[in-house]
Amino acid sequence: MKQFHSYRDFASQLLAFIASGKNDPDTFNELALGLYHLHVEHVPAYRKVCERVLRGSVPEHWSAIPSVPTTAFKDFELTSLAPQERTRVFHSSGTTEQRPSRHFHSPESLQIYEASLMRWFTGKFVEQGQAMSFISLTPPPSAAPNSSLVHMFGTIGKTHEMVFAGTIAGDRSWLVDAEMTFALVAMHYERSEPVAIVGTAFGFVHLLDAMAERNVRFNLPPGSRVMETGGYKGRSRVVPKTDLHAMIADRFGMSASQIISEYGMSELSSQAYDNSDRVFHFPPWARAQIISPETGREVADGETGLVRIFDLANVYSVLAIQTEDLAIRRDDGFELLGRASEAETRGCSLMATETALR
Amino acid sequence: MNLPNYFLADLPVEASLTPTLITDACRQIRRNRQQYLLPRSTSSIIQILDSLGREWLQVDSPFRVHALEQGPGKTGFTERTLAHGLDSFFTQLTAENLEALVVQELGNVNRLDGFYEGAFARGPQLLLQIGAGSIPNPVLLDMALGLLTKSAQFIKCASGQSFIPRLFAHSIYEADSKLGACIEIAEWKGGTDILDSAAFAEADCVSATGSDETLAAIRNKLPLKTRFLGYGTRVSFGYITREALARDTKGLAKLAAQDVAAWDQQGCLSPHVIYVEAGGKATPDLFAQRLSEELDALEEHQPRAQLTTAEAAAISTRRSFYEVRAAHSPDTQMWASSGSTAWTVIFEGEPQFQMSCLNRFVYVKPVADLTQTLQAAEMVRDKVSSVGLAATAAQTSDLAAQLAHWGITRICPLGEMQRPPLKWRHDGRSPLADLITWTTLESQP
Repeated sequence: MKQFHSYRDFASQLLAFIASGKNDPDTFNELALGLYHLHVEHVPAYRKVCERVLRGSVPEHWSAIPSVPTTAFKDFELTSLAPQERTRVFHSSGTTEQRPSRHFHSPESLQIYEASLMRWFTGKFVEQGQAMSFISLTPPPSAAPNSSLVHMFGTIGKTHEMVFAGTIAGDRSWLVDAEMTFALVAMHYERSEPVAIVGTAFGFVHLLDAMAERNVRFNLPPGSRVMETGGYKGRSRVVPKTDLHAMIADRFGMSASQIISEYGMSELSSQAYDNSDRVFHFPPWARAQIISPETGREVADGETGLVRIFDLANVYSVLAIQTEDLAIRRDDGFELLGRASEAETRGCSLMATETALR
Repeated sequence: MNLPNYFLADLPVEASLTPTLITDACRQIRRNRQQYLLPRSTSSIIQILDSLGREWLQVDSPFRVHALEQGPGKTGFTERTLAHGLDSFFTQLTAENLEALVVQELGNVNRLDGFYEGAFARGPQLLLQIGAGSIPNPVLLDMALGLLTKSAQFIKCASGQSFIPRLFAHSIYEADSKLGACIEIAEWKGGTDILDSAAFAEADCVSATGSDETLAAIRNKLPLKTRFLGYGTRVSFGYITREALARDTKGLAKLAAQDVAAWDQQGCLSPHVIYVEAGGKATPDLFAQRLSEELDALEEHQPRAQLTTAEAAAISTRRSFYEVRAAHSPDTQMWASSGSTAWTVIFEGEPQFQMSCLNRFVYVKPVADLTQTLQAAEMVRDKVSSVGLAATAAQTSDLAAQLAHWGITRICPLGEMQRPPLKWRHDGRSPLADLITWTTLESQP
């Protein structure tokens, strides 16, 4: 088994793996086991979990690496970063009385986050070398520094034009401005330039409601895209995904294949995207398993279970994350059904007047 | 067993209920009541119920056999869970208990038949009983109460929950077709306005079990003249004193396991938490471990229901959460069935009352005394139904008084939480007397 002497050593090999974009199971396994050993050594909270769960055994395959539930990011500091190294923290969204998850980052970890994001985003949502104009329904990072989703869009905004279609108040609270969105869309329409609109599901519901109210409809130029992400968290009425996509397609004059969903969370450093088949896929450096909640084993194709993710880009935290999301396994991808937990619900689609976003 | 199509609930699924069907049924059973039920003596009704109690306990009773054969598919509960649950009700359904119930509630067993010492207890003409949960026993008890009050009764079950009540209704019909002719039983999805309204318009008394929201919605839709008896959703917990624990840790663990396993913990009377006094010869975490052993043993001969993926996910998600906590502090410990979600015991130092995700998932929490326990349960103060108590004889009366002052309506021995006696005063009320309208006859002074 390959040993990594330091995080830096691991990070350089991971960045090479990400850059290659190769779907190489052996390299994934090697990197995962190597990273696992780094985590056991350098993340005390994770080491204790492994001691309890493994009782002395050592994983020989990435799928045997103990996972931690997303809720553990609330209770414990799942990080190898010393307090002075932590330059950024991403919180899960939630109502104000809930304790959020905390995923700590440093310049090094953000560099990996961004490399992972851009490598998978490019090709999934925009073509290599294409300069796309974005309209964002979430604010820039300065207004929401603890949101991984905002950081994600902010990172995309470094290589593409990204405009926030809303206003930010002095207390950093923000609102999507429907009129401003219409004006931006109209501008692209007049120029016959493709445009991408990105935001949370509830952001789109508010926008679509405003469009319906004013009887506004667009026919977006060819090549335009929409990306929606996250749930609702009581921020708007809940619209089933197929209905939401149909409404978007109708109001913006698009086909279903131009609309893509993103699946991510503050506890991860990589994202999954779906296609018009609504099956999500993570990049080759992250793998999802659908786990039977009854038996704890991976389900067969077509069966339902909880999503567990092994994300090599979680270099400075913990790579195996057990989510509370139910999904149907579709080969090596999954079709998302939604949050299973009845208790502390969490999700990323909450922020318009709250301070936290995934 | 081929059941005749006698009740609305017997209709094939494709036959849809209409308001007219409900209205007609209500009027028919009301007429039947006038003709068949009102003239009957209370003692003859008690005799029928007593014979039904014995019948349902016979291993070869066709109704019991059918309930246990088809029940797992229809209700989700395993055969053994159903058998235990049904036994706990039908062993109670005796003439002696029924008479005692009437005497407790009405002062005299003859008062439902006419004036006795100047008081005549009359039941509703048409009693609408709305059952909520997946446990059949409360509905069966309500049906027995309805018969005792000589009311025509319309039993409205939640979708998919009518199987056992329907069998009981058929057994009443078979024992005495005239009594059976005063009962209607149907199921539809709660909140279906058009069907609800038809039933609400006919009933002069409505008894309902459900969440606060459900009860409020029903009450808002009833005419003012209709009597409404709402029983809200409740939670329960166990309490063990250090003296009782020291005396028989294993025995108490076995009793607690039975309370957790009964009806797979689905009922208002099932414990979410077992509070155990610390500082005695036997420790609360030892009790938790013993409880896990007993739950494991119970799984052998009284297995839990198969869960939906969402229910199993609720358990596995909580287990993951406590697994991490347990890795960090001896204040949290977890025992769990391996390779399944069959049972879970969480020992947690923090005494705060915790709602379980049910299906045999229970918390054990150490406490200094009952005062601390009641502080920790303050958040559910007006929602607690039963306390399963294990204490020495000398301790019981003081603890019971403290629990009563706090608002608890039922204190029972550990192991009996899901086996309320027939005389149980549901939510501290008088289930039979609440149905009654009195007529008093005053004689010349």
